[in-house]
Formats: sequence, C-alpha cells, structure tokens
Amino acid sequence: MVNYNADSAMGILFPNSYDSLVPELVSERLMASIPFASRYRLIDFMLSSMVNCGIDNISVIVKRNYHSLMDHLGAGREWDLTRKNGGLNIIPPFAQKTVNIYNGRVEAIASILDYLNRQKEKYVIMADTNVAVNFDFTAFLQKHIDSGADITIAYTKEEVPKAFIDIDMTKKDLYYTLDINEDDKVQKIIVNNKDKGEQNMSMNIYVMERKLLLDQIREAYVNGLTYFERDIVSPQLDKLNVRAYQHTGYYARILDVKSYFAENMKLLKEENVNALFSPSTIYTKIRDDNPTRYATGSHAKNAMVADGCVIEGEVENSVLFRGVKIGKGAKVRNCVLMQDTVIETGATVEYTITDKNVTVSSYKELKGTESFPVFVEKRKTV
Amino acid sequence: MAKEMIAMLLAGGQGSRLYTLTQKLAKPAVPFGGKYRIIDFPLSNCVNSGIDTVGILTQYQPLVLNEYIGNGQPWDLDRLHGGVHVLPPYQQASGSDWYKGTANAIYQNINFIERYDPKYVIILSGDQICKQDYSDFLKFHKEKGAEFSVAVMEVPWEEASRFGLMVSDENDKITEFQEKPKEPKSNLASMGIYIFNWDILKKYLIEDEKDPESENDFGNNIIPNLLRDKRQMYAYRFDGYWKDVGTISSLWEANMEVLDPENSGINIFDDNWHIYSRNSGMTGHRVGEEAELDNCMITDGCSIEGKVKHSILFAGVKVEKGAEIEDAVIMGGSVIKEGAKVKHCIIAENVVIEKDAVVGVMPEGDEKGVATVGSGVVVGEGAIVGPKAMVSEDVKGGDKVW
Repeated sequence: MVNYNADSAMGILFPNSYDSLVPELVSERLMASIPFASRYRLIDFMLSSMVNCGIDNISVIVKRNYHSLMDHLGAGREWDLTRKNGGLNIIPPFAQKTVNIYNGRVEAIASILDYLNRQKEKYVIMADTNVAVNFDFTAFLQKHIDSGADITIAYTKEEVPKAFIDIDMTKKDLYYTLDINEDDKVQKIIVNNKDKGEQNMSMNIYVMERKLLLDQIREAYVNGLTYFERDIVSPQLDKLNVRAYQHTGYYARILDVKSYFAENMKLLKEENVNALFSPSTIYTKIRDDNPTRYATGSHAKNAMVADGCVIEGEVENSVLFRGVKIGKGAKVRNCVLMQDTVIETGATVEYTITDKNVTVSSYKELKGTESFPVFVEKRKTV
Repeated sequence: MAKEMIAMLLAGGQGSRLYTLTQKLAKPAVPFGGKYRIIDFPLSNCVNSGIDTVGILTQYQPLVLNEYIGNGQPWDLDRLHGGVHVLPPYQQASGSDWYKGTANAIYQNINFIERYDPKYVIILSGDQICKQDYSDFLKFHKEKGAEFSVAVMEVPWEEASRFGLMVSDENDKITEFQEKPKEPKSNLASMGIYIFNWDILKKYLIEDEKDPESENDFGNNIIPNLLRDKRQMYAYRFDGYWKDVGTISSLWEANMEVLDPENSGINIFDDNWHIYSRNSGMTGHRVGEEAELDNCMITDGCSIEGKVKHSILFAGVKVEKGAEIEDAVIMGGSVIKEGAKVKHCIIAENVVIEKDAVVGVMPEGDEKGVATVGSGVVVGEGAIVGPKAMVSEDVKGGDKVW
C-alpha cells in the first residue's frame, strides 16, 4: 500500500475531561464542543492535529451532554474522517443495567476493549480536548519510537495555572506534573502539585503501543482502578519506561471561564493567531455563512470576526463568532460573543461572554471586568 | 427511479469579455461576492428548488471548475442516485467532437439525461447572478400545459434591441421570437433559462443535429423550430435580481450591488435562500488597531490594518497599514502592501500590490473605467496601473500601465 506506515497510530479523545471546571460553558455541552477562536470548537484542534499527522482512525469516548458534539462532528467529513476503515468513531456510554457511566480513563477505555483489540494500528495516542493546540503528533510519535519508551507523555513548561491551584478537590479533576531526568525519563508523577515556579505540566497526551494499553487496562479494570495516570502509570514508573516530550509551541488551555476569556483575547494578537493556526489547517464544521458586512458608520478595531456577522455599531478588542449582529450605536468592548449573538441598537457590552443565541436588548448595559467577565447563558435575552 | 426534473447547466462559456480574469478559468468559476463563484448561484438555486441532479457541461479551461465542484458535497449534491456530474465532451463510437453549440452540448449528453428518465429538463446558464426558485417556474410550466417555457425579464424598451426577445399574447403564450431586433415588438428578454418536456427536447435535439446548416444553438435553432411547429411555448416572467456578469464592468457592478442589498435586490444574506460554496476553511478575519472599515464585506482569513471603503474582500486578503482600498473587488489571497492605493478596480486571486503602488482611481465625471489585475500578478513598488488598464503580467516597480 502506498504511504503505508507500519508505525501508524490511532487516536482516542476524551471530550468530557475537565467539564467540571467550566460549569457555565458546559451546561448544555461538553468541554470538546465549547466554541473557541471565532469559528471553532475545542475538539477541532486535537482532531485536526491528528488528521494532519496522518491519524485517520479516531475514537471519541463521550460520557454526557454530547448532543452538541455529535451535531458538530456529524460523520466527520469536515476532518476528512468519513472513511471506510477507521475514520471517526463516537462512542457513547453503552447503557446496561450493570454498567455505570464511567469515571476516569480506565473505565472509559475498558468500555471499548473489544473494539480496541480489533484495530490494526500499532500505537494508540490518547488526549483530552481542553487544550487548543496545533500539536505535532508525528514528532511526538517519532520521539516515542526513537527513545524506546513504553509510554510517552507530552508536557509544557509553565507554572501551575491558578485555576488548578484553586481546584475543588471534591470534583476529582486531577492534573499532573512530571519529575523528569536529563534523558526525559519520568521519575515521578505528582498529582495536583501546588508547588510554585515552573513545573512540567502534563498535557494529558499519551502514546503507547495498543497492546500495552490493552494489557494495562484489563489488569487495572479487574483491580477496580480508576485513573490511568495515578493508578496505572505512576505506580509502575520503575517497571515501565515512561518518557516525557516537551511541547514548545503555542497552546491555549481552558481551565475556567476566566482562562476561556483570556485565551480568546490572546488571539487578537496576530502572532498568536499565526502560531495557533500554523503549520497546518484546523478544520471545523461548515456553516455556509455569507461574508461579514460592515455597514457605513460602523467602527471596528482590534477584533477577530468570523463570517456571517453584520456590524453596524462599534467593536473593539473582541472575538465575534459566526452570525453575530451588532446594531447601530451599540458598543462592544472586550467581549467574546458566540454564534448568533445579537447586540441590539444602542446597547453597551463590556467584558462579557455571551453564549450562543443570546440577545442583548436595545440600550441595555452589561459590564463585567477583566478578572470577572459577565457570562450570559445560551438563548437568554438580557 | 425516474426524476421529475433534472438540470443541465451550460458552463462551457469562455467569457472572453472578462479577458484576464478568464485566462485560466471558465467564466462560471470566476469568484464573486466575497466567498462564492458564479456557478454557486445556479447550483444553490437547484438545491433550494429541490433539484438533486445536475449535469454541468464544461469545455473551456475546466480544471478549476472541476476541482471546485468535486463531488458536489458543498451544495448537498453528493447523492446516491443523481447529484452533480461534470460533463466534458467525450469520444464516442461515432467519433468525438467539441460541443458545437448549446444545443449540441445537450445532444451529446442525451444518454446522461436518459439515465434519470426525467419528465422535464431545465437548461441553465452558468454565467448569471440570479436567485430564482425553479420550482415556481416548473409549476408555471405545468399549469400552462407547456412543452417549452422560457424565463423572461422585462427590460427597458430602449435597451430591448440588445436582447433575445419573446413576443407573447395575454396568456403568456409565445408567438414570436426576435433575436436582437432593430425594432423590438416586446420588452421581454430571454434569460437563457428554459424548461422543456424531455420528450420534446430530445426530438428537437435529434432533428437539429441532422441539419447540417444548423448552428446547434438554442436561441438560433431550437426555439425557432419549436415556433415553426406551433408547439406549446410560454414565457415565464421573472422579476427578481438577474445579472449577466459577462463584462468587467458588469462583474464589478454586480459585486458593488451585493454591498447594497437593501436597494439592489441581490441579497446574499437571505437565510431562506442560502447560496452555498466551497469554504476556504480559514480562521475568522482580523481587524487591526488602525483599520478603518466602511460599508464593506470581509471574509474569513483576511487581515486588515489599512482603510477599506465600499469594497468586497475575499478569503485571506491582507491589507497592510496605510493601504487604502475603495470601490474595489479583491479576490482571495491577494496582498495589498503598505501605502498602496487600490481603487475602483477588480484585483484577481493571489495578486501582490507592492508598497505605495497605485491601481485605478476613483472616477471623475463620466470616466468609469474599472482597472483589472489578473491572478498571480505582482504590481511592483510605486508602480501605477491606470483606471482602465488590464494587467495580466507583472508590473515592474515604478512603471506605469495605462
């Protein structure tokens, strides 16, 4: 076969990971389908990165609130994942009396063991979807193979984000930092590290042989273990060769509403847009919007605007998703306005995030602050 | 499975009056209105009217068009039975021929049409900007018990002699056809959109092919023959927006009319009549700190730092600081560098207008030339392209082209 690669990998995405950190944004969706960067959903980044690196067999293990994601992904055509073999495979919980909706990756993967067993790819790459990144899975996989590792974990060097430090432990969303030696070998995995200063933050992107994953999950499931990192990898660091791979490129990690707002705002800088959207294209669902129209008397400055908008008022320092309408005399500053938001005549909106189909009525004022942006729920009229 | 009506779209036109814009692509593939190509209009009309089988007859420079149409998915025309098919001339047992005329193009594809066993065939033209519900047209055709119907537009009497005219009675029955007559008897201009009963069309195509004198053209041969035989022929009046964008100035004008949907009648922002197109897949456009936007349309992937007034920018256009754009149509991927002035013109795809270059000027008095820069051209630093100039090759820095 042309282009056949014996070292091929399949992908597994966990679209519900870290849902509980952004309750406002996921009231009717999940992490993966949160709109981001004017016309994308968070999952577009991982999905496109994988596709662009030749991974064309991707399973998305969904847990709850997945209607919006299924609507977004469809048959996977926009990502070129409508394939006879492999392609996109969305796996909802298999409703059985005896099986509860899974907690943690072990149960999630255990629910597709048979499927996993039947696949042909030698490697499996697993990732969460709360990071918008143009990730080089080719280099990642190559490093894994060259280093002879059993498992490779991608990480970034950064301080532990404040949202993680403040995390409510009862919500069980764990994050991991890595102690690594000069050979990039992982010495220790620290759960919910509160240390100050630069840490090796795990991106929760893993690669390993499919067979090893199968064996580990079978054993862990029998022993009632929950978390892949805490319960499988961490205790076996002496047995397994676990390596780390540093991602040095651009990424946007969504941890709470504040970081969601800030990461959108960062994309108003051209160098950040260029960094996130290169080298390869990020694909998303097509909506067939017309071009955006700026009427006479409109003012726009420092904004990222998708197709399908009609701007009659003023826009500054804002990210506008598809189909947003800004009426005459309306002022929009420092806002993230999701799909089909309507800001009516004369309204003033500052430091605000509006979810889909929100309407801000004429001459209303809505003002948040940089540290506490106002959030307006889906379909609400203010 | 028989189809009620299928569409045959004539897309072989060279569009020679668009000159440099159609050097490398067929007229129906010419970009229009920010993110469309001309052919998106008839294709979207088909889908919105419930027609799911379309044959596209290509001949001249089909590469861009073929790739653009692909499997027809953007128009929802990737169907198990039917869908969109690109039909170039092909070799047959009896030899091979280019499409000699519009009627011959359909004649050579009789087999294609027969596969769907349609009752009616609508003949469309791939070089018009028009939003039309063909199901209304078909309803009219059936109600009149017609064998042939033609969509017509009322045109001003003083311009009537530029068109093919249908003379009809009070019942809209066609009694006479005048091709660009000196003394028009009617002001109903043919839009080149026909509905035929397939059995009638087939009969006349075969007959026409046997006539060695024939030009194999609908207007010149088929319609006169139908009249001769006193067939049931009706004129369907259409009063929406319709524009043949066959010349640089009409193409420019139609683009400008898109900017003024309230008055021009061409509204591409209509949620009930989507115009579909193959999308660029680029990220949302960027408006910089010093950008000034006034009455314009901007598409995904653009980056604007300069001034843009009353213009249409296609996907991925870059406008650098201090650049000024007015009354311009700028197609995908073009770059307007610092300090350049681009006015009253059409800039094709992937053009670079270097620093401080000037293309076109705003018209004064009766001067109405539209400057045109062909695709991939580089207009050098400080170069000047005059108001009526047509540029197909690179212009060196500092040069003047009039």
